[in-house]
Amino acid sequence: MRYLIIGGGVAGTTAAGELRRLDSSAEITIVCDEHHPLYSRVLLPLYLNGKVERERIFLKKESWYADQEIEWLRGDVAVRLNVKNKFVELLSGREIEYDKLLLTTGSEVRVIDADMRGVSYFRTLDDADHMSQLFLEQGEDAHGGIYGGGFIACEYLNLFGHFNIPIVLAHRGEHFWNGTLESSSGELMAKHLTEQGVELYSNADFKDLVGDKELTGFTTNAGDHKATLLGVGIGVGPDLSWLKDSGVETGAGIKADEYLETNVPGIFTAGDVAEFYHPILGRQLKLGNWMNSMSQGRAVAKNMVGDKAPFDLVSSYAMNVLGLDLIFVGDVEKAHSDQIHVIGSVEDGGITQVHERDGKVVGGVCLNRNTDRPTITTGIKEKASASDIVNTLSG
Amino acid sequence: MPKIRVLVDEDLCIGAASCVTIAPETFQLNEENKAWVLDHGTEPEGSKYERWIEVTDDEKENIILAAQSCPTLAVFIFEEDGTQIFPEM
Repeated sequence: MRYLIIGGGVAGTTAAGELRRLDSSAEITIVCDEHHPLYSRVLLPLYLNGKVERERIFLKKESWYADQEIEWLRGDVAVRLNVKNKFVELLSGREIEYDKLLLTTGSEVRVIDADMRGVSYFRTLDDADHMSQLFLEQGEDAHGGIYGGGFIACEYLNLFGHFNIPIVLAHRGEHFWNGTLESSSGELMAKHLTEQGVELYSNADFKDLVGDKELTGFTTNAGDHKATLLGVGIGVGPDLSWLKDSGVETGAGIKADEYLETNVPGIFTAGDVAEFYHPILGRQLKLGNWMNSMSQGRAVAKNMVGDKAPFDLVSSYAMNVLGLDLIFVGDVEKAHSDQIHVIGSVEDGGITQVHERDGKVVGGVCLNRNTDRPTITTGIKEKASASDIVNTLSG
Repeated sequence: MPKIRVLVDEDLCIGAASCVTIAPETFQLNEENKAWVLDHGTEPEGSKYERWIEVTDDEKENIILAAQSCPTLAVFIFEEDGTQIFPEM
């Protein structure tokens, strides 16, 4: 059996290891655009703030791939898929045949139209190394600019905060996570950041960078902002262009059923790129978090060898931003919620959102209300009625 | 039964909850959104980030799986003789 995996992040690499465990004689190939062995993206901020050494972020040694007899094609990218003759063409020109194919290509960062020394993105280890260098170059008058209102913006807030760099943050829309937060939650987030000394601008669309060779600031329609560093975190999206006309169905991601199999038999997907049918949440969606990607890597390998089981993990994402605890559990897209119940208030300093669909709880957001998390997680798993959960949490 | 020492580094733990999902008998999130270490669902001598537990081989394997799933490698596991099993040195 020849297994081909396109994408060497946590989903693809976990799947490769699991496939080897399940099938000792299989041929397994991973194609990966990055040159590093598997590392934890979640550890990148801790590498930058000095909490862990750079070598400690790696989850696999270089020798692991050979030890596991996994062919590891680094620095190469898939450019074409032929489902009829079952092969993938790579940028290098190489064509690789497969019996079963796994697509774990992840997401790419969205970029702004301008670039200059001082501007950074935060997705890969190479991005982190670049930022590490930028931090070293900063003089006495360092100013940290952030453009964006999501998790990456939060990572920049923590990093600049760690280095005691004054922060100006501008984002589009009314508040952070416009597609998820209710206005009171957004207000709580803004209040917290302002109290932490962040100069915050909402409804601020990026216009341009300021500086000669090196960055001195950036402009938005809210004004001119001083910045010697600019961290951009305006979201991620998968590159699906190479799959156009391949026969594999795509939408926001690669469409798949609850077994993580696409519309083409024998072709599977997992991780950030997978827009899979979640049997508990009752719809196809993408979930871009570590827990989901790693668990899907493990689950999809079993499904690929024929030991099929639906993937129904209720995953979550948590972080602390400048002292505020944030937790997103399950399906938190406002556009797919019938109703969102808000518990707590800005004055209380903590808010939980309970997302309801068809009477059931499908997701939750906890801001400084960590103890609500297990109730919501269990509630989603058990398809509990949203009003019961709201009553429990309000009690 | 093998005895192991399980430790959560609270500075590294970010509350991703992967360990809790895989081994709920051994890990549980606290109010600070960090994972306490439990002994088969119980907390003798109160809440702790570190404890010795007696486990079956299957339980041990599952706890290692939970540690491997942690995105910040905040879970450390040691054999009875002190050898670190995970993260691999």
